[in-house]
Amino acid sequence: MFGRYDMDEQIRNLPDSYFELVDQDQLADGALPTTPIGFFKDAFLRFKKNKVSMFSFWMIVFIIILSVIAPFFNRYSYVQQHTQLRDMPPRIPVLEKLGIADGTRVLTNRRKANIENPDLFPPASVLEVFNHRVVNGVEVVDAVIDMYSYRNAKDVYFWFGSDYLGRDLFTRLFWGTRMSLLIAFFAVITNIIIGTVYGAISGYYGGTTDMLMMRITEILAGIPYLVVVMLFILLFGTGMFSIIFALTVTGWIGTARLVRAQFYRFKGREYVLAARTLGVPDRTLIFRHILPNSVGPIITRAMIAIPGAIFSESFLAFIGLGLQAPRPSIGILLSDGQKVLLQYPYQTLFPAVLISVLMISFNLFANGLRDSLDPTKRGEE
Amino acid sequence: MPSSEYLLEVQGLRQYFASGRGKNRLVVKAVDDISFGVKPAETFGLVGESGCGKTTTGRTIIRLCDPTAGRVFFDGREVSGRMTNDLRKYLTDNIAMIFQDPIESLNPRMTIEEIVGEGLKVRGLKDKAEIRRRVVEMLVKVGLNEEHATRYPHEFSGGQRQRIGIARAVIVKPKMIIADEPVSALDVSIQAQVINLLNDLKEELGLTILFIAHDLSVVKYFSNRIGVMYYGRLVEVAKGDDLYKNPLHPYTRALLSAIPQPNPLTERTRQRVDYVPDRDHDYSTEQPTMVEVEPEHFVLCSPSELLEYRRRIAQNV
Ligand SMILES: Nc1ncnc2c1ncn2[C@@H]1O[C@H](COP(=O)(O)OP(=O)(O)O)[C@@H](O)[C@H]1O
Ligand SMILES: [Mg+2]
Repeated sequence: MFGRYDMDEQIRNLPDSYFELVDQDQLADGALPTTPIGFFKDAFLRFKKNKVSMFSFWMIVFIIILSVIAPFFNRYSYVQQHTQLRDMPPRIPVLEKLGIADGTRVLTNRRKANIENPDLFPPASVLEVFNHRVVNGVEVVDAVIDMYSYRNAKDVYFWFGSDYLGRDLFTRLFWGTRMSLLIAFFAVITNIIIGTVYGAISGYYGGTTDMLMMRITEILAGIPYLVVVMLFILLFGTGMFSIIFALTVTGWIGTARLVRAQFYRFKGREYVLAARTLGVPDRTLIFRHILPNSVGPIITRAMIAIPGAIFSESFLAFIGLGLQAPRPSIGILLSDGQKVLLQYPYQTLFPAVLISVLMISFNLFANGLRDSLDPTKRGEE
Repeated sequence: MPSSEYLLEVQGLRQYFASGRGKNRLVVKAVDDISFGVKPAETFGLVGESGCGKTTTGRTIIRLCDPTAGRVFFDGREVSGRMTNDLRKYLTDNIAMIFQDPIESLNPRMTIEEIVGEGLKVRGLKDKAEIRRRVVEMLVKVGLNEEHATRYPHEFSGGQRQRIGIARAVIVKPKMIIADEPVSALDVSIQAQVINLLNDLKEELGLTILFIAHDLSVVKYFSNRIGVMYYGRLVEVAKGDDLYKNPLHPYTRALLSAIPQPNPLTERTRQRVDYVPDRDHDYSTEQPTMVEVEPEHFVLCSPSELLEYRRRIAQNV
């Protein structure tokens, strides 16, 4: 239609009335249509969508509540001994009618004469006799014995059985859970605090400071852990304090390294530089600008460290460096139970199940937490 | 000695970054002996391709990095010496910076009010209501409104974020602003908006601006004087008009030839020239120095090039 030069002519000769001055003074944006939403609220909303993590979260809450109130469910305390009722099997009121946890034990390879002797076994306590055989000319049987009527304690219920001193294992288990959790929480909190401050300083200042601080952690991490722990226990005796301390000696190093890496990542960001050019002091830069951006990995690490601390505490208890008797912890119960594992497996079973559930729950919970605290996933469905 | 003509004066500034040790030691001369001055209430454009050391220059002036050598004066006081609390306060009170990346430059965990109000807080303002009032006033100035104060950065567009960055810099009433490619990451349609805002604020508050950009098309419109950088060195400094009329250094010519022209007739005939240092200069016998070829027009050239440049100016005038 137009030749090339026609068009140029036209463009050049456009009348001024075609143009309108866009007034930049009117620069004014309207309100945003969305509602403001904070980081943690957003993380919480996303966490709620993760079913497995939600389940583990409620599992943890349930166990914590149990550890607080369960020791008051029955009339036994964790120290109360019943010398007549040692190593009793579990007996639970309603379940006993169904044949589960009914306070019975199977005795094997007993002389038939003994089982039938009313002075040794009251007739009411022998529920079933089976497997008749003759060994070396002696009549031998197996028998299901109701331990509670055998010990003449028909009105006693040890829900999870009793230990070698006749202490109620139900009460001791949840007392032990409480102690283990407390130790783990305190150990992890101290680890996180020390590690965060140490890592923050090391990562923020960098250079020679960083190099020196990291060398120190390497030396500490190189010292055999058990030696340190034993030294501590020699120095301060066994007890909650020295166990927490023992778990802290090297426990914070991982956190320090993590936080240091986070600081290296964030300290050169433009918003940190911007704050520096405004004269924001170092302390504010560290705690207000950089740390909040690393809070996700730190929380996640803390949650992963809790089952680790529970396990470490159990391990220490297991090798005899646990709490002072008669205080229980899951580790001490396991350690006691393991000595009679073949005769009384239930003494190991309950604490083992509990510690497994606890550790799995904390790990799954931490996984979900990590995903929901990850800022790169923000705003995704 | 600093000249009283300049608000900011840079003399022989060098910034070298070293990496590796021993045999692997590698020194990057990000800024290599540059000198220029910025006059009060003017906009000085610093132009050069990516990686030529513009950001490093800005950051060294404001002491985000310590200079390897050279001196910087602000308002007669040397700001390149040993860092003291007093010097830091002097610098942070007088010079503010606007950053390049609209996403990276705002803390994702702080609200706009916290971000913009931080400078006030650092300066000892405690009264929450007063901070709020001044933040909102500033937000309105940059075209945002009160409702935006409680929002987080990720809810805003690139242009809005840059305006928030401007608000953060201006609220502390600095004398000078270093704007490091404030519009390079924005759509062309938004660029004008942000530049105009910066210009308005400059007029209103009497700011001096060091405006960094990677091409001439952006600085062209509102820089009083322009410095052209190439690989850590300043190759030409001139008033905006002089630079367009008489671009002397071959690199400046290359940059100018890269600007698209709004007139379709001339745009069609626009020829791009490229800059090849080894071809364009012969520095085997003579070393280049910064010379004032005409008043306020400096070029990095060797004596023989100087003769050639003088001749060219004489022809053109
Ligand atoms: N902190 C640093 N360490 C090492 N090299 C750097 C650092 N900062 C910048 N550089 C280098 O200095 C040069 C100039 O970078 P920069 O000033 O960012 O350029 P521009 O802003 O002009 O694109 C580049 O080669 C870059 O790699
Ligand atoms: Mg840059």
